[in-house]
Amino acid sequence: MNSDLVIKDLRVSVEDKEILKGVNLTVKAGTIHAIMGPNGSGKSTLAYTLMGHPGYTVTGGEVWYQGQNILELEPDERSKLGLFLAFQYPVAIPGVTVANFLRAAINAHRAEEGKDPKETAIPMAQFRKQLREQMAALGIDESFARRYLNEGFSGGEKKRIEILQMAMLEPKMAIMDETDSGLDIDALKIVAQGVNTLYAQHPEMGVLVITHYQRLLNYIKPHFVSVLMDGRIVREGGPELALELEEKGYDFLREEVASA
Amino acid sequence: MTMKTFPPLGEISDALVIETSQAAGEPEWLTEQRVEAWRFFASAEPPFWRRTDLSKFKPEQVIAAADAAATSLYQEEDLADQGVAFTTLAQALRSHEALIRQYLGAAIEPTRHKFLALNAALWHDGVFLYVPKNVSIELPLTAVFSMPIPGGAIMPRNLIILDDGASVTFVEEYHSVAASDQAFAAPVTEIFLGNDSTLRFVAVQTWGEDVYHIGAQKARVGRGAALEWAAVNLGARVQHIEAETALEGDGSRVEWVAATFAADHQNLLTAPWLRHIGAKTEGHMDFKTVVKDQSYTTFDGMIKIERQSRATVSRLEEHALHLSPKARSDSIPGLMIDTNDVARAGHASTSGEVDEEQLFYMRSRGIPRDEAIHLIVMGFFEPVLDRIPNDALRQRIAEMIEAKI
Ligand SMILES: Nc1ncnc2c1ncn2[C@@H]1O[C@H](COP(=O)(O)OP(=O)(O)OP(=O)(O)O)[C@@H](O)[C@H]1O
Ligand SMILES: [Mg+2]
Repeated sequence: MNSDLVIKDLRVSVEDKEILKGVNLTVKAGTIHAIMGPNGSGKSTLAYTLMGHPGYTVTGGEVWYQGQNILELEPDERSKLGLFLAFQYPVAIPGVTVANFLRAAINAHRAEEGKDPKETAIPMAQFRKQLREQMAALGIDESFARRYLNEGFSGGEKKRIEILQMAMLEPKMAIMDETDSGLDIDALKIVAQGVNTLYAQHPEMGVLVITHYQRLLNYIKPHFVSVLMDGRIVREGGPELALELEEKGYDFLREEVASA
Repeated sequence: MTMKTFPPLGEISDALVIETSQAAGEPEWLTEQRVEAWRFFASAEPPFWRRTDLSKFKPEQVIAAADAAATSLYQEEDLADQGVAFTTLAQALRSHEALIRQYLGAAIEPTRHKFLALNAALWHDGVFLYVPKNVSIELPLTAVFSMPIPGGAIMPRNLIILDDGASVTFVEEYHSVAASDQAFAAPVTEIFLGNDSTLRFVAVQTWGEDVYHIGAQKARVGRGAALEWAAVNLGARVQHIEAETALEGDGSRVEWVAATFAADHQNLLTAPWLRHIGAKTEGHMDFKTVVKDQSYTTFDGMIKIERQSRATVSRLEEHALHLSPKARSDSIPGLMIDTNDVARAGHASTSGEVDEEQLFYMRSRGIPRDEAIHLIVMGFFEPVLDRIPNDALRQRIAEMIEAKI
């Protein structure tokens, strides 16, 4: 089975407005792939669409992963296949604690057709130990386990909790949508280290990093960089492309695209 | 369970009310109160409630309990040596007649409507709780009311009195295992908080599906006293609860939370009134409703900030979650302010379906849609469940909610 994420001519509309206008992109298993692009170019739209957000209408194209066109799957099925999205704007779930939420998510992943969920559920002690360790590694205070998910969390706290969820769920293909925004420099290092640790433990994992800044890519070193502009991938390259963008901005690419 | 009953309401006479009271050895003042209330009941028109459907309810056929067999009391420690009284109201007439005479009916006027009068006339079930000055009780005291015969009726009368500085947790629970025939409950709970006392009051209504529940509760809160009130409404065919907190003493306060979950054809109404009377009183209300299937709920709330109050803080939150398009939840919040001296008064309300963004977020973590809705509903009610002092009860309520989702 192919563990690359292969996006073919993906077209997506929101409320009848076409946002993605034929995206072609392959995120290879075992690689870190950065996507950069100006505000409003469609990066989050791509991330949401890959995860199956119902508000984004796919009008054309395919996304292949693990031998399936995942566009036909529900979001929870995509998650079980190994996909994960760290949200740019994580949602609060009032009354549901971080610990309970994570346990529900892990147990959903462990559930098997025809088996009693009690049988497949993660043993409580094991869960607690794992949670404690991962929280410590990400510098998250233990009290967060009992807090309601994302309710009243600061921007940076939300991002750390996203990475905590990623570390606990151990996805095979992780999409990170501007996980660096809202993080101070120390938090950025810790979060990047969290991602790198996970990647080191799972070298077959693919990571799609959406960011505006080279800063993050100093810590999470990409193998490939793609640039999304106005709903299309307009350039692909290696890590040096990110540096070039940092230096020149997007305008030079715009001109190139216009004259092409 | 054997119990004594009255004949159907349609066949009761003044004489029978008097005779029953006298046979129970009740004091004369009470016999008089009862017969007076009975006359009001017998002559008054049924109340006209637009949002409570009584069209199928036949009061004249109701067979009311004539003893306290439906009242069960639970306490985990012996409190008698601390001067605490926790017994049926009927029993307490022998030991605490003076207190009962002073307080019975001092919060809730029996002539407000027919069914309150009915309770005042015929009550035999009910609990009397008295906590003396500065006595503090840790473990919760619980009164459970059941429907002992199918199609029967109970009219519990509860009197809760906290002397100055007292502190206690009281749970009243209306619960039937299964009641197939139309049954009726008309409980009245009167609560008095002395100065600087603290009461955690939990009211749980989990009747079977054919019960009509028409209840009233009122708490009068003294100076510096604190009331924490948590209500859970899950059962009954029709519920009509008028509840009131009167913050009478200066610096008195209430934290009032409620969880209502209606499904099938349930018609559940809650009418909570919060009155700010003293200076610097503080009230926080957080009412949560979930509706499903063809059910219908009403939140008919009112905050009154009276003329003599000063520097009031008042906050009302009410939120409704719709799990099916045919379910209906009405919200009629009212705010009456008769003074210029309000420190803060706020109101927030929402009503709608389960949030798609929350659902998507949870599903993106692998949680299937149904389970995500479970988690969201349980989370929605969490602030109320959190107030339930006893684990077994909280667990049972959580399971009932889970089963309804
Ligand atoms: N739910 C929505 N409703 C309406 N318009 C939307 C919605 N989601 C995205 N859009 C529009 O689609 C375009 C692309 O948005 P998207 O969020 O994908 O951009 P982005 O590249 O992630 O930008 P940023 O760098 O600011 O995060 C924008 O013009 C945006 O306004
Ligand atoms: Mg974005």
